[in-house]
Amino acid sequence: MRKRSLFLCALLVAFWLAVSAEVDIQHLLVGAVLAVLTVWFWQDLGPRLPRLLSGGELLLLGHCLLSLVRFIIESNISVAKTILLSNPSVGPIFVVMRPPIESQWARVLLANCITITPGTITVDIDPETGQFIVHVLTYKAAVELSNWRIIRVISHLESWKQRRTEHAMATGRSHDIDSLRAVAGDYRSDSH
Amino acid sequence: MIRLLANLCFAGSLLAFAIGTLGLFRLPDPYTRLHGVGMGDTLGVGLAGLGLLLLSPTWALRVKLLIVLALFWTINPTMTHLVAKAGLIHGVYPVEGTKVIKGQG
Repeated sequence: MRKRSLFLCALLVAFWLAVSAEVDIQHLLVGAVLAVLTVWFWQDLGPRLPRLLSGGELLLLGHCLLSLVRFIIESNISVAKTILLSNPSVGPIFVVMRPPIESQWARVLLANCITITPGTITVDIDPETGQFIVHVLTYKAAVELSNWRIIRVISHLESWKQRRTEHAMATGRSHDIDSLRAVAGDYRSDSH
Repeated sequence: MIRLLANLCFAGSLLAFAIGTLGLFRLPDPYTRLHGVGMGDTLGVGLAGLGLLLLSPTWALRVKLLIVLALFWTINPTMTHLVAKAGLIHGVYPVEGTKVIKGQG
């Protein structure tokens, strides 16, 4: 846990310096004090934070984000056509779906991917059942959503992390079972 | 050349915001209007950010711009989700003809 706290402190100081007007001893000291205070104040959230991604997972996440950029551009063109030309015409639908994703972080990632793509908005997620309610602008978007490639990529990423977590637990490499559970998505959100 | 590319990005951004704003008038209910606004929030902001990145004189400024964009694209879908959910909870009715279908799974 101490290593994780130090890493978070370093990350916060780096962020502070990145958004500061200049880098000098005053900014560095203020940033360091604020980083330590922030990490101390939020220490209860520590076990919920997932561990760092491996190289392969980062590549898969990068692939997911690049695919998302392509989908965002395509969806923008589609929504623009709907607004300007009514082609495809507006046909709003609430899609109730349950994607094959079990962990909370993967659901949040998928919900953000869905909402950031124009034409689809995640209205609600049931944290217990993993059921999504998605508002879509056109019937075409609803059809595309049910076969969306991003869902498969996130599901793949999730199963990959799950396997690594199980492997780490089996080989006893980690001493922090709480953080492993957090990675596996065992923590349930306490608010809906 | 870089200035020309940046200007093209700004023109694209303006177009995305303009179409999104038109969507506020043309789309029939609050839920569908969120889709229209989403155009400006994604492509509009992205192209404006890309244009500014091209014109940035230093790497420090580029890093700051990238952080701003990353924060924007994280916060924006969250807020859109909250607005839609609040609408549903507080009884904002969708336009007549809105269907409910069961999708994958």
